[in-house]
Amino acid sequence: MWKRLRSLFRALISRRDFEAGMTEELRFHIEQYAGDLVRSGVSPEDAARRARIEFGSLNSVQEDCREARSLHLFDELLRELRYAARLLRKAPGFTATALVTLAICIGANLTIFAAIDSVLLRPLPFPDAGRLVTVFNTYPKAGVDRDGSSLTNYYERRGHISAFTALAIYRYGTAIAGEAGSTEREQITRVSPDFFSTLGIGPVMGRAFTEQETTYQTDGVAILTDAYWRQRFNADPHAIGRQIRVDGLPKTVIGVLPRTFRFLSSEARLYFPLASRPQDRTPQQRHSGGNFTHMIGRLRPGATLTEAQSQIDLQNAALEKDDPEAKMMADAGFRSLVVSLHADHVASIRPTLLLMQAGVLALLLIGTVNLINLLLIRANGRSKELAVRQALGASRRHVVSEAMIETTLLTLVAGLLGCAVGAGGIRLLAVLGAGRLPLGAHIALDARVGLVALGGAIAMGIVLAAPIAWFNLRGHLANAIQSETRGGTSSRAAQHLRHSFIVAQIALSFILLAGAGLLGLSLKRAMAVPPGFRSDHILTGQISLPWSRYPDGPARLAFTERLMQEIGRQPGVSSAGVVTNVPLSGNSGKSAAAVKGHILRPGESPHGHYSYWVGGDYFGALGFGLRAGRFLAAADSRRAERVCVVDEDFARYYWPDASALGQHLFQGSEVRSDAEAFTVVGVVGRVKQAGLTDDAAQGAVYYPYVFRSDNDLFIAARTGLPPESLGLTLQRIVRQLDPDLPVNDVRSMESRIADSLVDRRAPALLAGLFSAIAVLLTAIGTYGVLSYAVAQRRREIGVRMALGARPEQIRGQFFSLALRLLVCGTTLGLIGAWLTGKAMQTVLFHVPALNLATLAGAAAIMGLVSVVACLLPSHRAARISPMEALAGE
Amino acid sequence: MGKAADLLPGTLDMLILKAVSLKPLHGYGVLLRIRQISGEALEIPQGSLYPALYRLEHQDLITAEWRQSENNRRAKYYTLTAAGRRRLREETDGWNRLASAIAAALNTTPEEV
Repeated sequence: MWKRLRSLFRALISRRDFEAGMTEELRFHIEQYAGDLVRSGVSPEDAARRARIEFGSLNSVQEDCREARSLHLFDELLRELRYAARLLRKAPGFTATALVTLAICIGANLTIFAAIDSVLLRPLPFPDAGRLVTVFNTYPKAGVDRDGSSLTNYYERRGHISAFTALAIYRYGTAIAGEAGSTEREQITRVSPDFFSTLGIGPVMGRAFTEQETTYQTDGVAILTDAYWRQRFNADPHAIGRQIRVDGLPKTVIGVLPRTFRFLSSEARLYFPLASRPQDRTPQQRHSGGNFTHMIGRLRPGATLTEAQSQIDLQNAALEKDDPEAKMMADAGFRSLVVSLHADHVASIRPTLLLMQAGVLALLLIGTVNLINLLLIRANGRSKELAVRQALGASRRHVVSEAMIETTLLTLVAGLLGCAVGAGGIRLLAVLGAGRLPLGAHIALDARVGLVALGGAIAMGIVLAAPIAWFNLRGHLANAIQSETRGGTSSRAAQHLRHSFIVAQIALSFILLAGAGLLGLSLKRAMAVPPGFRSDHILTGQISLPWSRYPDGPARLAFTERLMQEIGRQPGVSSAGVVTNVPLSGNSGKSAAAVKGHILRPGESPHGHYSYWVGGDYFGALGFGLRAGRFLAAADSRRAERVCVVDEDFARYYWPDASALGQHLFQGSEVRSDAEAFTVVGVVGRVKQAGLTDDAAQGAVYYPYVFRSDNDLFIAARTGLPPESLGLTLQRIVRQLDPDLPVNDVRSMESRIADSLVDRRAPALLAGLFSAIAVLLTAIGTYGVLSYAVAQRRREIGVRMALGARPEQIRGQFFSLALRLLVCGTTLGLIGAWLTGKAMQTVLFHVPALNLATLAGAAAIMGLVSVVACLLPSHRAARISPMEALAGE
Repeated sequence: MGKAADLLPGTLDMLILKAVSLKPLHGYGVLLRIRQISGEALEIPQGSLYPALYRLEHQDLITAEWRQSENNRRAKYYTLTAAGRRRLREETDGWNRLASAIAAALNTTPEEV
């Protein structure tokens, strides 16, 4: 087989040599034979003639020789390709419409498929990535669905869960890296020593972390990513052993990661050991996972998720026996879940991506149907020619292959154009913010997607050819030849097919429109949600105070006090404050608060609440609403007053019938001595923390900043000027206070809110675009079919006009046809839209599956489009002159 | 030449392989050689010789090479390949078995039944 292919290939690439050799060989034969004849006494002229005659037809022998090499198939293919190209060139209007339609549909599909491929399908870039899992703690009854994993979890599980070959823990964070004066805040990750071996990719230069490097005395080492190594070390091959300053402390570089290394969507450029003290690893810390500390594991070959899950469950149950908090955790529904790392990371975006793919597939279907209609109309116009050719002996195979070659040529060219459209689409995705979605930065048009495009184009070519081949072969030979140009009675089956295609198009477009409407409405409702504060004119920025220079609460408090003072002096600034976490920052940690006097009702579990530590005039800066009592003031932090403010959800939950003011609560999950109690001095309005669409009434507590020893903090300032204009000032003030302290993530609150909606805005915009294209395609399709119907009935209309029909009647006839198609399509579309709406519930916000306004809007648009598409053809029909129509043929 | 026998279907390839196995030959030479070794009894139709040669070459049973002919002209000479030799042996065996079976069948007398 291989040898034959090689022989064919050789003949193909040196086709000219093949032909020349063959001619020479045959000529040699004839001349030799003629020479032999002359030698046997025949006259030279006679000999030449006899030799040629006895050899037979040179042409047919050559053709047989080519066939022996399978070359004839290619000759035939080339011939048919040339013929198809000529036909397409002869109808530039049709060809252009078909190419544009297909290119847009294919391009849209490639764009979304590229996203699906890089986000959902492609394994994570680690060896045997399917075996990577993540383990996290969940306390569903306390309203905390996800709480990372704790150091204690890690040290208790490491080496004790046989379903894992490796287990690691890591913590996202930030650090200030660089020499004084040129410091920069970097995203970093602190990892346990087995982090890289769990992933299966380690440093290309140097080594990974060791067990000895996990204490605060010995953790002065760093592993660089390739990007950081190139930028900061100029890709120095001797970087190992050199030092960098991180948070003011020297760290020795011990390794450099490969260029391709990227852990999930992490932006981290530096890796450090995750150091801890013995007391951080005790059973008391078992439930202190939080938002930033996560566990990954690698399943033993052959081990399943279920196996790992049951081993973890067993261990948790065993450990619970001597856990003082066991009862409370059980009430909170505590479990540690084992899930696939990849699936878990992309779970939030999965339904949206699948929905988008369904949308573009519908678009492709509309485009295909459109094209089939156009092709059928065209085939009808050529039916006489084909009938004649079939009568003259063209084989059925030939008729089929001709149709297939023509459509495949069309789809292949369109596929190529579609790749260009797809590349543009991926740019569009990037502009819409796809980079901020999980694994979104990996989306690219690569060879894999190109291959899918090629396969898809060929498959589409075959699909498009099927109806034409069927039409051409339906054996109406005699009929077509005998009939006059008008084509006898127009074939009822073909007409039904065309009409049902239009109905399908209208229905699909309707569904797309309705779906896009639902997404748009959902976005609008999400945007209309009040965030709970006045989001205009607020500038926010993030600072992390290094432990080395700000080791305790008083040091950090002193810094924030001075900062507030300086910012307050700037023109236009009316108030400024600091907080451990601003709303909609993308992080939202919940922690427990114990309320004095609150007795858990049966079945009730302790609640996790959003907890903030605020300084300066934070409430004034954000514009919180005050429901009772007072806000926290800068003085509360300064005097370390044990006071706090709760939000209305919190107050309603714990004191539904009494005033919250004057009540006592504690940080953490247990009620302690009165000296540690915080007195509620105010109740504020509810603020959206996790996202505008987060409806859970989780409750929030605000403590004075001085009580939280946290070094990451946000600054928020309210200004009368455009907030962005304050950005540089803010950075300058911080640099003046501490030259090594950069401010990051400086943005207005409004842009944070806008960003928090990216996973709703992008799909809504894309769906809007898709449905606009769908409507346009449907308009083209309807117009094409109606124009064709008019052209086909020219003579009939002429006769009727001659017999006295009025133009309005003719026009009405076509309008009623368009109306019938519209009604059928819309009815089907309604059913489809209802089902789609139900399937979309997970990605919709406060929008029911059937929304009247959306449906009415979609119906109105489809109606308008049908009427417009019908106007020109029916107008043309009404203007047909009887004389011309009857005499013209 | 008048009493040349018609070729049985399928035997042309075998004869070409046999002719080429004796000595590399050009197309016309194959024709002459088959006529000669069959004692002038077999006549190959000239038109079907070349497609057969091309087919055999395509199947890698023979290879072709341009050389000077005996009267100093460029000609394409065919040589048997290893695969071709194997095929010739198989076909020869097969043919002999068939021929002797048919001969035995045709020589049967009423007494032997």
